[in-house]
Amino acid sequence: MDAFDLDVRRHVYLSVVANGRPPTTMETAVAFGRDEEEIADAYLRLHDAHALVLAPESTEIWMANPFCFRPTPHRVSAGGRGWTGTCAWDALGIPAALHGDGRIESACACCGEALELEVVDGELTTGRNLLVHILVPARHWWDDIGFT
Amino acid sequence: MVYLRSEDHLRRWLDANGWEPGATLTAPAMNDLARAWWWSRLDPGWRPRPREESQAILDGFGLTGEFWSLA
Repeated sequence: MDAFDLDVRRHVYLSVVANGRPPTTMETAVAFGRDEEEIADAYLRLHDAHALVLAPESTEIWMANPFCFRPTPHRVSAGGRGWTGTCAWDALGIPAALHGDGRIESACACCGEALELEVVDGELTTGRNLLVHILVPARHWWDDIGFT
Repeated sequence: MVYLRSEDHLRRWLDANGWEPGATLTAPAMNDLARAWWWSRLDPGWRPRPREESQAILDGFGLTGEFWSLA
């Protein structure tokens, strides 16, 4: 991953934290003074390197893990903003990435009943009796990251 | 990767979908793993983490064996 792609990736994450959403290729192109096509190519390289996840057949950012920009059952409050976690692991990753406390509202995958977890000073203080299940073996996580 | 209320709900969920069990962590264990895994994600000097380092994080939580092998 070259320096330009790292800069683009850093800009994406900074924008996510500042605005609560990822920048479009046009917004990033303006920020860098580059053509939109160059930024789209960088987004695609970052996707291929698993540094971002783009929506299928698109340069729209779907995930900048642990943040997700499409609906999932995992809603996270952290850093003074509401977020969506890609999965149970990533939902807990959001307060971790933001180095702060966080509250997660989710649902039991079996019965759909609402669940709540809370992280305070790094410790899980609410939801300690819950389980997290990982269905897909680690080597296949990126085969279909949306399912994983 | 999903949350479940209990072992009973986990079994019912797997049975309902016809899936073989994968791996189960307690929520506190997952929180600890999430902190180790994601803590540096927003660091200005972030670089892609080599697979060996990711594997070492999993190893550090006792997550070893075929299921947890990234290679």
